[in-house]
Amino acid sequence: MAFAIEARQLRKVYDGRTKALDGVDLQVNPSEVFALLGPNGSGKTTLMRILTTQFRPTSGLARNFGLDVVKRGAEVRKMIGYVPQETSVWADISGFENLLIYSKIYGVPSSRRKKSIQDALSSMGLEEVAKRMVKTYSGGMVRRLEIACALLVKPRILFLDEPTIGLDPSARKAVWENLTSFKKEYGTTVFFNTHYMDEADLYSDEIAIINRGKIVKSGTSSQLKQSLMSEILQFHFNHHDSNHDGIDEGALRKVKDLASVRDAILCDSRLDVFVEDGETALPKIIEALRSEGKSIERISAARPTLDDVFLRYAGTLSFGRDGG
Amino acid sequence: MTAEDSFREMFAMIELEMRRLRHDRTEIYTRAVQPILWLAVFGTVMSEVRGIPTGEMPYIDYITPGVLLQSTIFVSVFYGLTIVWERETGILKRLLVAPASRWATVVGRSIASGVRAVVQALIIFPVAILLGVKFVSNPLYIAAAFVVLFLVSGGFAALSIFVASLMKTRERFMGLGQALIMPLFFASNALYPIELMPPALQHIAVLNPLTYAVDATRGLLISGDLSNLAIDVVAIIVFDVVIFAVASLSFRKIIE
Repeated sequence: MAFAIEARQLRKVYDGRTKALDGVDLQVNPSEVFALLGPNGSGKTTLMRILTTQFRPTSGLARNFGLDVVKRGAEVRKMIGYVPQETSVWADISGFENLLIYSKIYGVPSSRRKKSIQDALSSMGLEEVAKRMVKTYSGGMVRRLEIACALLVKPRILFLDEPTIGLDPSARKAVWENLTSFKKEYGTTVFFNTHYMDEADLYSDEIAIINRGKIVKSGTSSQLKQSLMSEILQFHFNHHDSNHDGIDEGALRKVKDLASVRDAILCDSRLDVFVEDGETALPKIIEALRSEGKSIERISAARPTLDDVFLRYAGTLSFGRDGG
Repeated sequence: MTAEDSFREMFAMIELEMRRLRHDRTEIYTRAVQPILWLAVFGTVMSEVRGIPTGEMPYIDYITPGVLLQSTIFVSVFYGLTIVWERETGILKRLLVAPASRWATVVGRSIASGVRAVVQALIIFPVAILLGVKFVSNPLYIAAAFVVLFLVSGGFAALSIFVASLMKTRERFMGLGQALIMPLFFASNALYPIELMPPALQHIAVLNPLTYAVDATRGLLISGDLSNLAIDVVAIIVFDVVIFAVASLSFRKIIE
């Protein structure tokens, strides 16, 4: 069976200089919720804009359900829904009117129009405010209306660029609850970009991390966490230390060089050390830190979260490379 | 992309514009102020002075078609601002990802702006009657004049969309829009016969689509002289076709 989304060696170079995508390989299965995580400027939005036929890639291949996004763009556009990061509804007409205009643009036949609009409104929980002008909506309502507009045609793939950016936690929750139930009903594939790790963790079936135009890691949330193959030992230092950061490059290097340590990251004044086996690694780390004259105030242990995964693969990747 | 899809989208764009207009008509009224002043103040005073030879026609009657067109073309030339705004929000991206063609989007929006422009002219029209402008009594002539107005306004809206796709920001667009509109008005036969202009300006006036629109509407609304109508309409249609094509071709650039 064809992948819902497939990218092979996708490259995009702007103005012959800026490499936004540098060989992206990606596969998304049908009916999956797929989260793309990446720091600012990592190529997330460029990738989405290529997949939604807005940009042509410089080289490489991208397909949605087997249809090439460049050669068969018109067919691709018929089966996808897309919600850009910025506002994409008209504020000076009502929510219902926005849906009506979009249903006409998308070519929903007039016999089904009323029902499609009703379905989209109820999928996003907007029935009661449909007649109100959009400029009176809250941020969360605007975002739900935008998604509702994309749901009019029951797309096979729904592309969401930062769907909950700038929303408060309850509005975010409402957006996702509505999306999840819509997805359950219609089996839509959902592809979204986000900065919110908790969202990726809670709502996605699969996650890919993009950094500097390349997919650096992908898998389910628990696979990604396990891929760190580690627990995290967190060392907190005494503030009276001569070095106010608590730790310096030399000490960091020394810890990283230990055989039982996979990686170490400095988070503010805390040192997070990724180890496979905490019990055997701990004494060695303590010894190494003591030999650098560091006085440890407290040690705690944690299971890795998606934040750790993100930091490991996207945040401090170059740091890790330099060290290893 | 079938023709049906494209027409459907064009009509959706017109409907959108009408709905926006229905919710908020302030712009239509405030935009009517300036042309009404042209007629009520400039037209009335110059009629008294009789400084510009307009034959039998009172000066206020002479400039009415030009003022009507100026008011509608103002609407069109600044229509690109809507597009720039939609570029800054995500609407344009979304429209380009919708199953609709670029040209349907551009032509649809241009026509929508043309409709808006006609509504604008409808506000000024009764004011002109109140000011004593004597229109041709044949309603068909009047209707035909509004068609001309609509056609040329649509063309200028497409020009505006084209400019928007190059300028991309509000500030740059506003600058160019301002730089465009007054010369367009002055280098035409809207306020005075072309023969009165310096030769260099006459050449520009002949290339100015507004000249043909003014000539056609003046014939249809005021003088009843339709001898140039065919040439005028052909010139306007050529302008429309060319500018629709150019604007459609450059439209995708706007989101890059």
